[in-house]
Amino acid sequence: MSETSYSVLGLFDTPNALMKAIPTVRAAKLGTVEAYTPYPIHGIDEALGLRRSPLGGMVLVMGILGAITAFGAQYWISAIDYPIVTGGKSPASWEAFIPIMFEVTVLFATFTAGLGMLFLLNKLPFFGHPVLSSKSITGITRDRYALAIEAESESFDSAAAAKALRDAGALEIEILPAPDRSPFLTSDFILRTAGGIFTACLVAGLVMFLTIKWFPLLAPMKHMQEQPRLNAQMPSTFFKDGHGMQLPVAGTVARGHLPAAAGTQEAAATLVNPLPRTKEVFAVGRKAYTNRCEVCHGAIGNGVGSLTAAYGGKPANLQAQLFLDYPDGKIYWAIVNGKNAMPAHAADLTETQRWAVVHYVRALQRAQNAKDEDLKVANP
Amino acid sequence: MSQNPMSPTKNASTVLWGAVALGAVGVLASYVAAGPQRFWANWVLWFVLMFTLGLGALFIVALEHLVNAKWSVPIRRIPELLATLLLPAIPVGLIALCALPVLYPGSRPEAASHPILAGKAFWLSLPFFSVRTLIAFGLCVLGLRVLVGGSLKQDTTKDPAFNFRARKFAPAFMAIFALVITLVAFDWLSGLTPEWYSDIFGVYIFAGAFLGGLAATTLSVLYLQGQGRLEGVRGDHLYNLGAFLFAFTVFWSYIGFAQYMLMWYANFPDEVIYYKVRLAGSWRVLTIALASLHFVLPFFALVTRDSKKDPKRLRRVAYLMLGAHVLDMYWLIFPVLGAKPFFSWPELSFALFFLGGILLWLRSAMEKGEDMPVGDPFLREGLEFRL
Repeated sequence: MSETSYSVLGLFDTPNALMKAIPTVRAAKLGTVEAYTPYPIHGIDEALGLRRSPLGGMVLVMGILGAITAFGAQYWISAIDYPIVTGGKSPASWEAFIPIMFEVTVLFATFTAGLGMLFLLNKLPFFGHPVLSSKSITGITRDRYALAIEAESESFDSAAAAKALRDAGALEIEILPAPDRSPFLTSDFILRTAGGIFTACLVAGLVMFLTIKWFPLLAPMKHMQEQPRLNAQMPSTFFKDGHGMQLPVAGTVARGHLPAAAGTQEAAATLVNPLPRTKEVFAVGRKAYTNRCEVCHGAIGNGVGSLTAAYGGKPANLQAQLFLDYPDGKIYWAIVNGKNAMPAHAADLTETQRWAVVHYVRALQRAQNAKDEDLKVANP
Repeated sequence: MSQNPMSPTKNASTVLWGAVALGAVGVLASYVAAGPQRFWANWVLWFVLMFTLGLGALFIVALEHLVNAKWSVPIRRIPELLATLLLPAIPVGLIALCALPVLYPGSRPEAASHPILAGKAFWLSLPFFSVRTLIAFGLCVLGLRVLVGGSLKQDTTKDPAFNFRARKFAPAFMAIFALVITLVAFDWLSGLTPEWYSDIFGVYIFAGAFLGGLAATTLSVLYLQGQGRLEGVRGDHLYNLGAFLFAFTVFWSYIGFAQYMLMWYANFPDEVIYYKVRLAGSWRVLTIALASLHFVLPFFALVTRDSKKDPKRLRRVAYLMLGAHVLDMYWLIFPVLGAKPFFSWPELSFALFFLGGILLWLRSAMEKGEDMPVGDPFLREGLEFRL
């Protein structure tokens, strides 16, 4: 009935007859020998000489790859690309990576197992195996044991195969056509699938959009907004002083900041400016001075800033002899702790910025008391 | 048994008796030389080891009845005999109650004035602690009587009614088991540091106990097979034991890591101190060793299909798992003694004494009676089991 016969099926009455036939049929070497039985038969794998499935190895390799991928991705995201300190933990805490590593390992492994089995090993897709539409299939799923010789090449000899099976004791013989492997990934199929997915997305998105638009109170997840928390500046009975916001513990130092200079201004006089006098440092100092100091001390440090008149204050004239003789440490101390009406700037300026401002103030002083040789350096 | 010449058996038991005697001298000497704290820590360690091994084995027996497993009938006698370790564990445990005032802060009189322990004083006090331990022992004996005693009796009566009785009792025993192993975990192990608590600690100890029971079962099966006994037990049975071992290494590390990660994340001082102690100094080395020996090594040793059937590989992994279980319990108990792990002649003497005793007990248990539950109607089906 078929011009290109694909396999020849021989039916047996008992599993023992099937097992006995296998070696002789295999010895004929006419094609791949397959068995179809209603239930698993012990020892049939060995008798058919089936190779151990490579699926286990594939799953192991992909599982390990999944673990490495998850670790690498998390490490790169949280330790290299955008490191954020949460809960006082190092951004590269392996402990936090483990759950995701576990999940991705399972994901890679299961996908490899499922897809590898279906597509790589079982060579899907095709629409139906000829055995399933054979006459013998009702027997195979009930009380018959089938042995098939399947074609390996174009030169498959179905008559010889039928004879070999009959000689081995097969009671019935059936010749089957090749499986229908016509491609189904046609442009029509692809278009319809893509169109279906697109329509489904459109409908789902529209429904979601309208739901949120018409029922805005039905927020899907509001745990973050509704948690019992204290906003800044709110009163609270939780703490003794009635404030919701508490002052940091005495001696608290922000990350990246050094402790404020303690002690008196006289004690700070011995501090040495750790920064070199480079263009970059002066640029940092100039920027910080312009942002924080100029409104009072003035652009050239003479104590006449834009706010001076408005407040009627009397900021220090940094060009005065007193400040020309000041050691660097005393200026630094004033920046950190404030002096008289001047507030402390420890919170606004980092350690580097403070010392850069000291350098910049020195530069301003020098600019107002320039010597002849300074001009020579400036105009080489 | 009978096919073995008498002399090696006799020699072995002489060696074991010698080990017990030598160990006993060391144990007594360690009380005087190393102090009561270290003595009782060792004693509690071996009590917990015996108890968890016996309980883990009894759990395997109950599990087989619960799910009506047929494949395991031919090897069921082995966990049944291992479970009888609970009997010698009872006197050991009663003696271990003397450790309460020494090692367990909750049982000391100053606990009443401790702000945290005062609230737990009733639970941790010596009388109630002892009552709980006695109840746990009683429940274990009940489980042994029904599951093991009934099975031994079935050898002669061949009465299939036992299978129905055991299957009905098994679900109840699961509840009993959960209660007893949680009591052991909370009282004897986390009771050493009563300010620390972990809800999942009982499950952690269960995972270790089950693995220990499985490893001991596997070792005994391989040992008896090496002597030409347990005829009919084959690679298919070994494969199931290996697969159980493999699966539960993952379970143990899953629970252990879940406990660690939550405490590490939350970073509450009263919780995280437990790991702080175990990640400092030499304990850090032992912690890493525990993770490697209890999970990484056995996991990769058993990952392939053939390795779960290979007697040589299985024997090594089973030894490794038992060793890792000892290390696990040591790692839980000994940090209370100080910042440095103790390991010297007192620990060796205890190991000699208790290991010798355990092996003597198991030998005498395995010398008499049948190797398989010959009265079980499902024995044949179990022997015909194929993967």
